[in-house]
Amino acid sequence: MLRKDFIKKTGIMKRRNFLILGSALGLFSYLKLKKSDDFEVAFKNVKPTIEAVQGHMFPQNSKLPLSLQTSLFMYETMSHPSFDKDIRVFVLEGASELEKRHDNHFTSLAAQEKEIALRAYEETNYGSAWLSQIMTLTLEAHFSDPIYGVNKNEKYWDEVGAYGGLPRPKQRYIGTIDV
Amino acid sequence: MYDVVIVGSGASGGAVAYTLCKAGFKVALLEKGRLMKREEFSKDEQAYCRRDLVTPNLFDEYHTIEEKVEGEWVATPSYESGWSFWNGNIVGGSSNFMSGMLHRMHPDDFRLKSKYGEIKGANVVDWPIGYGEMEPYYALAEELVGISGHFEPHPFAPWRSTPDFRQAPTKENAVVKLLDKSCKTLGITPLVTSRAVLSASKAGRDACYYSNFCGSYGCSSGAKGSSREALIVPALATGNLTLLSNTHVKKLHADNTESVSYAIVVDTITGEEKQIKAKLFVLAAQAHETARLLLNSANEYHPHGLANSSGELGKNLLFSGGGSGQGELYKEGLKEIEFEELMTTGLFVNRSVLDWYFIDDPKEGRFKGGSVEFMFEHQNIISRAAKDNQEEGKLVWGSALGERIVKRFREQKSIRFEIFNDWLPTDDCFVALDPVHKDKYGMPVGKLRLNGHPQDIKVGEYIAKHCEKILQEMGAQNIYASISAVPAQNLVAGGCRFGDDPKTSVLNKECRAHDVKNLYVADASFMPTGGSVPYTWTIYANALRVADAIVKQLKNI
Repeated sequence: MLRKDFIKKTGIMKRRNFLILGSALGLFSYLKLKKSDDFEVAFKNVKPTIEAVQGHMFPQNSKLPLSLQTSLFMYETMSHPSFDKDIRVFVLEGASELEKRHDNHFTSLAAQEKEIALRAYEETNYGSAWLSQIMTLTLEAHFSDPIYGVNKNEKYWDEVGAYGGLPRPKQRYIGTIDV
Repeated sequence: MYDVVIVGSGASGGAVAYTLCKAGFKVALLEKGRLMKREEFSKDEQAYCRRDLVTPNLFDEYHTIEEKVEGEWVATPSYESGWSFWNGNIVGGSSNFMSGMLHRMHPDDFRLKSKYGEIKGANVVDWPIGYGEMEPYYALAEELVGISGHFEPHPFAPWRSTPDFRQAPTKENAVVKLLDKSCKTLGITPLVTSRAVLSASKAGRDACYYSNFCGSYGCSSGAKGSSREALIVPALATGNLTLLSNTHVKKLHADNTESVSYAIVVDTITGEEKQIKAKLFVLAAQAHETARLLLNSANEYHPHGLANSSGELGKNLLFSGGGSGQGELYKEGLKEIEFEELMTTGLFVNRSVLDWYFIDDPKEGRFKGGSVEFMFEHQNIISRAAKDNQEEGKLVWGSALGERIVKRFREQKSIRFEIFNDWLPTDDCFVALDPVHKDKYGMPVGKLRLNGHPQDIKVGEYIAKHCEKILQEMGAQNIYASISAVPAQNLVAGGCRFGDDPKTSVLNKECRAHDVKNLYVADASFMPTGGSVPYTWTIYANALRVADAIVKQLKNI
C-alpha cells in the first residue's frame, strides 16, 4: 500500500483564504458564476493574461515551449464538474488581479518587464500561489495523454523520455470534443 | 429479503460476499460508487490522479478534520482543505488502487500491551484473539487474492502454515542488486516484498504486465488482487450475489434493542430512497465511515448510535505512523548496475526490511518499531514534472524550467522508502458526527479528530535514520525523509474495537456487535491496535474469518 500522505505545503489548505483575500480585492464577482456560459465568458476575458504568463514560463525557445492548445485544455478541464470550484475562481481572479496591478496592460509588457512584474507578484502569498497554480495547470496540459489534445504525437513525453502506461485512455473523462 | 446485506464492496465486503455466496446464501452487496470493469481502466493520469473521478466531489460529501492549532481544536471541512479521506469509491473500493505491498501482522502485534506494557497517553490493549486464530485466514487470503512473494526466514517475520508463496515474486528492477548489497554492507537483511499482484495467470486473471503505473490505478489485466477481481467476480459467478452499485446507505434501522431490520438506502443516480431488508447486516464501509453510519443510525432503542452501549463507537481511530523518504540515483557514480538497467520501466523494487520491527537499542531503549518498503518514486509524469520547481523559495520558469524538468526525468531515478509503524490509539483520535455539517443526502458528516502520539514520531524517526543510511550506501543524492503526525488518509482502522468485554468494546471477537445480534463489522474498524504493516492483508484475512462466523450463525437461524 502506497502511503497517501497529504502534503500541506502546496497551499491548497489555505485556498479559502485566497478567496477571502480575492473578495477583499474586489474580485468576488467570480464567486457568483453559476452557469457554464458565465465561466466561458469569464475565462475568455482572462485567457490573454493567462497565456501571456504561460508563454513567459514556457518560452518558445525552451525545451518545453507552451502549446497553443493549452488554453483549450484548461477551459475544458476547468469546465468539468470534477474541477475544484474554488480553484476555478482562484485562477480567474488571480489573472484579473495581475492585470489590475498593471492597469490592464500586462499582456503588452516586454519580456523583461513581464519578468519584473511576475517576480513582484510572486512576492505576495496570493500571487505566488496563483503562479504556482498556473504552472501546474500548464504542466497538466503538456504531459497529459495525447487524447487531451496538447501532447500531440507525444511531443512532451518524447522530450523527457517518459511515456504513459498501457492501456492508454480511449476516451476523455471530460467528454468528447473536436480537437 | 436477502440473507445478508453487506455495506461496502472493498477488501472486507468482497471477502464476506465471497464466502457467503460460496456457502449458498443470498447476499446483497451495496456500493455507493459505480461499477468499473477491468476493460474501463486506463493509465490516464489526468483522470485518475489529478481529478476526483473515483471519489465523491468534496463539496457534496466530505469530512470535517479537527486538528490542534495553537492549543485549540479547529475543525476544517475537507472541501476547504482539499484533504480528502475518500479512498476509491467504486465497486471493489480502494483495493482497486492499492500498490499491493502486503504483510501479515506479527504474533506480538496481537498482544502489544502484554509485551510492552502501558504507554502513557495511549489506549493500548491486547487483541481478544491471537495470531494462531488469524493465520489460517492469512493463508486463505494469500491464495484467494493471489499474493506473490518468497518467504525468507527472519527473526521478526510471522510464522506461516505453508512453506512458501504459491505465486513467485513479481519481476524486479536491477536496482535490487544495489539495494541488497548496500543493505548487507550495513548488516541489514532485505526481504522480498509480498505483493497482491499475480506473477502468473490465475483463474481468469492475467499475470502482471508491468505497466509502470500500478498504485493509484485500476489494473487492466486483473493481476492486482482487488476485491473486485479476486472475490466479487467469483461471488457473482455463484448466482447468489446481487451487486447494487450506486447505492448509498444513509442509516440502518433497528425496531428493537437487539436487531437491525433494514437499511435505508438512496440511489445515487435517481435520488430514490428505499429500504433493503435482510436477516443479517455486515458493515464494510472503511473504518471512519462504518463508525459514522452506526452513529447516524441512532434511534430510541439506540440513543447513542447503533451498537454503542459501551460509548466506544468511533473512538481509538487508527492510521499508520511513520512516513517516507527519498534519494536520487544518477548515472555518475552509480554502483553495481548500469544506468540503462536502472531506468528500465515497469519492474518492481520488491524489497522490504523488518529489522526494526522490534527495537532493542542500547541508547534508545526497547520499543515496538515498524516495517519498511522500498520502491521507486511514483512514475506519474505530471506529478514528477510539477515537483519541486522552486529555488530559494522562488518558482523556476523560462528556459531554466524546461531544462530542470528534462534533467529530472533523463538523468536520475528516485528511490523511496516508506515506513509503517503503529499509530497508537489515543483519546484524541476518533470519529464523531459533526454537529453542523451534513452531506448532500442530509446526513451529518464524520468529524475526524486527528492527533498522533509522540511515540509514533519517535519510532518513525528512528527507522528513517537507518533507511537514510541505506540510501547513502547506495550512492543516492539529495536524500531526505519526512516523518510527521499527519496521517496517511488511506491507512485507516479502528473506531469499533473488538474485545471480550461489552463495556469496553463495540464488537465481540467474531466482530459481531455486542449489542445487536444480527450486525457484524468486517472492515478494519475492529482493530484495537494496528500493527506495523499496511492493513490490507489483515483486512482480507479477518473478513474471511468473520465470514466463517456469519455462516455458522446463518445456519442456526
